[in-house]
Amino acid sequence: MSGRGSSSRITDEEINELVSKLQSLLPESRRRNIGRASASKLLKETCSYIKSLHRDVDDLSDRLSALMATMDANSPQADIIRSLLRS
Amino acid sequence: MQATKSFERAFLKHLLRGFRLSAVSYKSMSLQERKSAIKLSADVAMASARGSRKWTRGLITKLSKEDDHRSFLRLILGTEYERLTKPCHGSWKIPRSKKIVRRSLRVCSRRKNNLRAPHGVKSSVLARTLVEKRTHALKRLVPGGESLDGYSLLDEALDYVISLRAQVDLMQKLLTTFEASKLSALSKCTLPERKASFVGEAGIHQQKLTEKAQLRPKLTL
Repeated sequence: MSGRGSSSRITDEEINELVSKLQSLLPESRRRNIGRASASKLLKETCSYIKSLHRDVDDLSDRLSALMATMDANSPQADIIRSLLRS
Repeated sequence: MQATKSFERAFLKHLLRGFRLSAVSYKSMSLQERKSAIKLSADVAMASARGSRKWTRGLITKLSKEDDHRSFLRLILGTEYERLTKPCHGSWKIPRSKKIVRRSLRVCSRRKNNLRAPHGVKSSVLARTLVEKRTHALKRLVPGGESLDGYSLLDEALDYVISLRAQVDLMQKLLTTFEASKLSALSKCTLPERKASFVGEAGIHQQKLTEKAQLRPKLTL
């Protein structure tokens, strides 16, 4: 991409749309229906939400790992799971 | 807003493939090793299913920083790996976007604040510093976010959140499926097999099972 930076200037409308889309995803905004948020609040909630999603993935990885660990190599359920993994 | 059906399909396909490649169901690994393998598969699957975005490139690049991950990444992504790790020709910055975002958001909060006693310059300076601090925090959380600003940062963050939600949702569904298949398998097998498979699980009540007894193993949901 040569020369002159962005050819598309970002309109206020686009920004508002992006902000409202982001807000609609955030759990706190959904619950309390905060009409208009400040920039710092939006950023803070986005950060906490991402962190909580990371924790969820971590927790689910723990549980999947534990579940696979209790599988006896020759048990029927191991066969089922293995056939799932063979897809 | 949700991830697309094709994303979900691609994610599951890559996730299971990743599990297969790291042999999570066979190899005797430690709990931690297996967990890391699962997490790695999940992140690669998410990035791969989404395609080329700033955050997916950032994520793959971050993951490939570790030597033992790189061969796995190459294996599972194939030619996509080269494509996703190739440096972008200078992420074109949108210089005014940060100010624009802040301006439009401040207009919203100013309308609120007009009804209160004016605090003068101090509060707006504090607000600006807070925004800067939190923007930096967001940059660290969104993969590849360090080189982004303003509108692009929020745009990538939005996309990343949508994909993360789908990742969590699908992993949960997989876990539920595995647990359910475990249950149905257990209810079909004979007592000696049942007993053998419970080694490693807590369950004193298992000793009381008869062949015809109803199975109620401990569910960890």
